[in-house]
Amino acid sequence: MDMETLLAYDWGIMAPEFTIVIIATLLSLLDLFLPHSFHRKWLSVFAGVGILVAFVFTLSQLGQEADMILYDTYRLDLFATSFKLLLLIGAGLVLGLSASYHRKREQGEFYYLLLTALLGAMMMASSADLITLFVGLELLSISSYILAGIDKQSLKSNESAMKYVINGGMATAITLFGFSYLYGLTGSTQLTTISEILPSLIRTPAQGLLIMAFIMTFVGLAFKISTVPFHMWTPDVYEGAPIPVTAFLSVVSKAAGFIILLRVFLTLFGTLEGLRLNETFMQSMALWIGVLAALTMILGNILALRQHNMKRLFAYSSVAHAGYLLVPVVALSTLTLENIWFYLLVYMFMTVGGLAIIYVLYEKHGTLDLEMFSGLYKRSPALAILMTIFILSLAGIPGTAGFIGKLNIILGALSTDPAPIVLVSIMIAATVLSYVFYFGILVQIYFRSNPFQVTIKVPIVMKTTLWICAIAIIGLGILPNLALDFYHHYVDLINVTEMLWMRG
Amino acid sequence: MTQIAWIIPFFPLMTFLLCFIFQKREWHHLCSRVGIMTTGLALIGSITVLIGQMIFGNSEAVISWLSIGDTVFSIGYIVNPLNALMLVIVSLVSFLVHIYSKGYMAGEERLGTFYAYLGFFTFAMLALVLSPNLLQLYMFWELVGLGSFLLIGFYFHKAEARAAAKKAFLMTRVGDVGLLIGMILVFWQVGSLEFSAIFQAVSGGDMDSGMVTLVALLIFIGAVGKSGQFPLHSWLPDAMEGPTPVSALIHAATMVAAGVYLVATLFPLFEASDTAMLVVAITGAFTAIFAACIAIVQTDIKRVLAYSTVSQLGYMMLALGSAGYVAGVFHLTTHAFFKALLFLAAGSVIHAAHTQLIGEMGGLWKRMKGTGWLFLIGTLAIAGMPLFSGFFSKEEVLLAVWKEEHYVLFTLGLITAFLTAFYMFRLFFLVFMSKKIIPYKRRKKIFESPRVMILPMVVLALLAVGAGYIHTGWFGPFLGEWLASGNEYITLHPHEGAGWLMAVTTLLTFLGIWMAYLMYQKEKLDRNYLSEAFPGVYEAVLNGFFVDVLYQRTVVFATKCLGIVGTWVERYVIQGILHFIEDITILVTKLASKLQNGQVQTYGAMVGVGLVVLLLIGLMQGRFF
Repeated sequence: MDMETLLAYDWGIMAPEFTIVIIATLLSLLDLFLPHSFHRKWLSVFAGVGILVAFVFTLSQLGQEADMILYDTYRLDLFATSFKLLLLIGAGLVLGLSASYHRKREQGEFYYLLLTALLGAMMMASSADLITLFVGLELLSISSYILAGIDKQSLKSNESAMKYVINGGMATAITLFGFSYLYGLTGSTQLTTISEILPSLIRTPAQGLLIMAFIMTFVGLAFKISTVPFHMWTPDVYEGAPIPVTAFLSVVSKAAGFIILLRVFLTLFGTLEGLRLNETFMQSMALWIGVLAALTMILGNILALRQHNMKRLFAYSSVAHAGYLLVPVVALSTLTLENIWFYLLVYMFMTVGGLAIIYVLYEKHGTLDLEMFSGLYKRSPALAILMTIFILSLAGIPGTAGFIGKLNIILGALSTDPAPIVLVSIMIAATVLSYVFYFGILVQIYFRSNPFQVTIKVPIVMKTTLWICAIAIIGLGILPNLALDFYHHYVDLINVTEMLWMRG
Repeated sequence: MTQIAWIIPFFPLMTFLLCFIFQKREWHHLCSRVGIMTTGLALIGSITVLIGQMIFGNSEAVISWLSIGDTVFSIGYIVNPLNALMLVIVSLVSFLVHIYSKGYMAGEERLGTFYAYLGFFTFAMLALVLSPNLLQLYMFWELVGLGSFLLIGFYFHKAEARAAAKKAFLMTRVGDVGLLIGMILVFWQVGSLEFSAIFQAVSGGDMDSGMVTLVALLIFIGAVGKSGQFPLHSWLPDAMEGPTPVSALIHAATMVAAGVYLVATLFPLFEASDTAMLVVAITGAFTAIFAACIAIVQTDIKRVLAYSTVSQLGYMMLALGSAGYVAGVFHLTTHAFFKALLFLAAGSVIHAAHTQLIGEMGGLWKRMKGTGWLFLIGTLAIAGMPLFSGFFSKEEVLLAVWKEEHYVLFTLGLITAFLTAFYMFRLFFLVFMSKKIIPYKRRKKIFESPRVMILPMVVLALLAVGAGYIHTGWFGPFLGEWLASGNEYITLHPHEGAGWLMAVTTLLTFLGIWMAYLMYQKEKLDRNYLSEAFPGVYEAVLNGFFVDVLYQRTVVFATKCLGIVGTWVERYVIQGILHFIEDITILVTKLASKLQNGQVQTYGAMVGVGLVVLLLIGLMQGRFF
């Protein structure tokens, strides 16, 4: 690659990523050279500005034609742009959650690790090559490992980081193993090229290897979205990590997992001929993914039933939500991307909102047990009402965005083919099961006596974050088309078939 | 000017939110002020919209609310003559009732809650009127039902109030099921719930005539429930357990008229089916005379008015069913004013006399002159006294029926007109004029109500007199022309005023008043003659022809039987299954938690085992074994 080719690329399509890189580098330098007396909380302002600028850049890219640079390894299309917006919103919310409590002054690294992790996620959204994709994935993973252990003095945090590294290592190994099969079968790492060669493998002896590649890759990536069988690390890591990191893992990291899953599997297998006649490869494997989705929903909700630790409860709840999000992947239709996009958006608001309140109460009462909520309505009616909104949305009660998200998933799944009705029924049953622990929290808030005779003061940034989340949930619950219209206006062009760009 | 219409419902919603948050006692005086102010703003907005509609014509704006695939559900607002008129009626009556309540409910413990509920109801009612499609209408239709439920049961410490609230909710729900099914059918047939799309489909013949009839009848069932038409009328008299201002607002002027409004809004749909129109007309006529008969013998001042409301709503349905679109809407308008006036005046009497039983009143004219005069105006208006508003609208209704050549129904309507004059003046004479002496001690304590209660009544009295002149054979049918101008599907049938009809109705009215005068004032006719001659019949009429008893013995009884069987099934079958599921869940939880032991090697082993199992399944699917 000579200088001329390099300069010939339209580097503008990487503007959001460059912004994040520059800000992250700047922050690390500032952290290094600024005197100790300078409070590191001000770094969060830089990080916030960086995310905002990247967000604006991404918005400005919305109308652009799809384009690839760097020898077709980096792709900007509407899929990438729309999901990058989600990542940036998620990261912004996590930043809002984290910027309020500072006990240690040396925590500047939190902010630039957050940014590098975000950068990895954004690269994953744009990658068109297994190598780029893997580099993005590892950038996200390694940053997350350190983030989980960022509370150096805490044993729990150390344990969490350790477990995360080991499990993540296994996942990476499995993913790479799957990738190596793909490479071995096709001789290429470029997604377009692979997808052009794959059809020639169907109904040959190599088909078995292709299935192995499919399953290995899927299981490896299941780690990031924490679905069965790679879900067990979730509660342990979520519990030990500091709350902002927990929020990051359950919001940004999970979204990134879904992005890479959609990118790889829809591109490679979306229109590939299936094992039987008249079906696509994804349809052949639908039952298989469906079983994983069902197990994930059921296990996540059942295990949450016995939880009293709020972080663990949210961890299981995030497992269950990953199960719901797999339903559109099983029932592929033109609505799949839209459903996942909308649900992830809603999920970000309600999870960050819920964890933010847990954070506030944890800082005040020093406990993570369910009883932190007892009598909250008497202590702080505003927090109680906010938490009620988040809980109702997580449970999927009408009037909240969570309901619309679930409704869209259900209707989308049944829109083309009635077969997923079984999966949808399981999803509804699992949702009903989840009422038990969600409403358990509400019972604590409204009907238990108030053991803490203190007033709770919420820092201003936290308050803003909470209200943004609550308004977004109610707003999208009453007027879901605010988001859906936006999506349709720009992104409708990429339904599943159109996403398979290599075919056209 | 009409573009502001969508803001109007949000004013009363503000009352709801504010009064709900600040419902402590020390905020009470603010609650009533906030309530009056916001409904005042809503009234100003409504009048602006009305004037705007007259100048600039209809307007509609919708935004898409939820799109699933290609199906888009939208929300928005529509302004046409009919709902601009309804907006003004609702916000005006609500505004006056808010003022009146300040006096009537003074000293109430839960005043904040009361105003919050009133605001909520007004919000839902205004939003219902503005709805441009059936789905939105249905949502607010349910919300007004909820508001009505809450307000009927406002004195929830009284068992009767609780029972009445429950009854009202359940009986209107029966109707709502019809409406819901009708709505689903419409969606299935038309693919949209927008009014304009429905009318287009009907006029374009996209629905076959049997389906049109079915849909219209199902929707009419909803209207029957809400508007207290036979056989779903018996919740309305019981709903009088609510505070009297509530009765005036909800159960006289606005919510119960929503059924009539629904039929009027969907008039093109109904007009497309002769069967549906006939059913509407017959139901209306029967309800009118049926309820009027019961009203004659009631002993509770509010129940008389309640049955009278049922009867008058029947009139409106009769008019609509006889193609008298204008007549129905006209009567709805005048009725809203004079019936609200009558209820508020009755409230004023109850406020002073501390009883609702007619037998314990009498000779109140001297103690409360103001209320007496106002009640008299309302009575004259409803009785159809010439020059009062009820006279014009009732004549219009009867004329529509005559033109449609429903002669039997026309006769029923005439008899009802006579009965109305009779029972209303019976009420007036017994309450205000009768010479019966109330014990001196009690009489001393009866005073005229405060000015804050009298003023709203004066406004309503002016309207009860004057509202008739917007549509007369003498000065011109302004209302009719205007209503027809805004709706391409409505054709105005010019009714040249039939002089003989005017004479007949006037004669009947005077006959009714005269008979009431002889019986209850002069006591020349023995008022107990009929009841003693036919005790069985009297008993039947007094108890509303035992409709409630019938329901009690059939529907309620059957439901209770079902309930007992259901309880048994639930206890032994369902609970057994539930326990089983519960046990399984607990077992799975325990097993899964055991695996979740915090040991990374276990997790790794699980992943390994999982991967192998998945590979086996996947390869088997590919038939490699």
